[in-house]
Amino acid sequence: MSNIKRYQNPEVFEQLAIEYAVGALQGRAKKRFEVLMETHFYLKATTEAYQQKFAHLVELLPDEKPSNQVWKNLESHIQATATASVSETKENRWSALFSKKSFGLMASVFIVSMVLIFNPMTGSPVAYTAVLESSSTHDPMAVTRISQADMSLSIEMMKDTKVPDGMQLALWCHPKNGGRPMMMGTISASGKTVIKIDKAEWRNFKKVGLLAISLEHKDDHVDVKHIGGPKGKILLKGVLSSEYGV
Amino acid sequence: MEDKYADLLQRCANRDQFAFKQLYEEASPKLLSLCLRLLQDKQLAEDVLQEGFIKIWDKADTYAQGKGKGMTWMATVVRNKALDKLRSLKTKPAETEIQYEGLEFASADLTPESLEDLSQDMQGLMACLKTLKPVQRECILLSYYYGHTHQELSDRLGKPLGTVKAWIRRGLEDLRPCLT
Repeated sequence: MSNIKRYQNPEVFEQLAIEYAVGALQGRAKKRFEVLMETHFYLKATTEAYQQKFAHLVELLPDEKPSNQVWKNLESHIQATATASVSETKENRWSALFSKKSFGLMASVFIVSMVLIFNPMTGSPVAYTAVLESSSTHDPMAVTRISQADMSLSIEMMKDTKVPDGMQLALWCHPKNGGRPMMMGTISASGKTVIKIDKAEWRNFKKVGLLAISLEHKDDHVDVKHIGGPKGKILLKGVLSSEYGV
Repeated sequence: MEDKYADLLQRCANRDQFAFKQLYEEASPKLLSLCLRLLQDKQLAEDVLQEGFIKIWDKADTYAQGKGKGMTWMATVVRNKALDKLRSLKTKPAETEIQYEGLEFASADLTPESLEDLSQDMQGLMACLKTLKPVQRECILLSYYYGHTHQELSDRLGKPLGTVKAWIRRGLEDLRPCLT
């Protein structure tokens, strides 16, 4: 079995993930796992899920009060960053208005402003992710990543889902503020499904709060971009989180 | 159940400095306690706590309630910082006058009053840990709280390295079905 095939086996990667989360994975095995986590987001998502579970252990710890200096340093840091961001804005305006190159700078400011106004991607996340859990057992079952770089939505089933004959799985986007969900497409019950998205769909993910997978009859003709909402049972669901570039 | 830390994190994401101070005051004692056990040095532990809270402030907008409780998210951020620091040091800091060791605080036999203070999730985790053999539980908790390597655990418990590795691996294998 190739290395990567081995890491796709839930029995293997779940054990490695739990060992990593508790701090029991060490040496070269740990480094190898960290490299794989960077490229295989299901490994990262599984590990993070176990890290969250073990993090409850802090509740048992006795309190230890930090010295006052820690808060003073933190306070200085957040005030300095706030001041820096305000003074940077002021400085830009001042330079733009009064420097010898004011025309050039003002032209630059104009261009940047136009880009800011007309580039719908500005300030947007670079990706969205969601771990979809079983609606009944709350087990993590699938990981979804929507990437601006690839303009695609990929969904990877960590555990196979049983789909009866004549049925199919459909992926739905539920708006944050309510309203009808929109179907993104049908997906495979195992392995990875990749759905290409266009710019408008990418922009719409800003408004999406939850992803869900339902079981639908194939002959119900639930087409892509269907907006009537799922007719079948919701099997998996998960909250969508934003990722920002650093 | 209401998650006060999640609410405070949400306010921090909106650059609310009062919320950040409240978050720090309420969460820092537990998080420092974790850093002290991992790093065994008060100055280093406070440095890591500070770096951790800077990251919490900077990245509060990436915290999503669907990803877990506010406290567990912060504990993961701070513990990862502490582990990075440990890794960057060639050797663990020399023992100081204050010793942070043992697992008395995580005794499997907590009084009912102490149990009441714990979240449902922690009570569930404790129930799962109780199903393990005491040596397995001890190794897993020492790994989490103190960041001990297998070799350190072997030295500390006076048991062969292979035995310690097997306890941890089998303990975690047994724990997995209970946690999911």
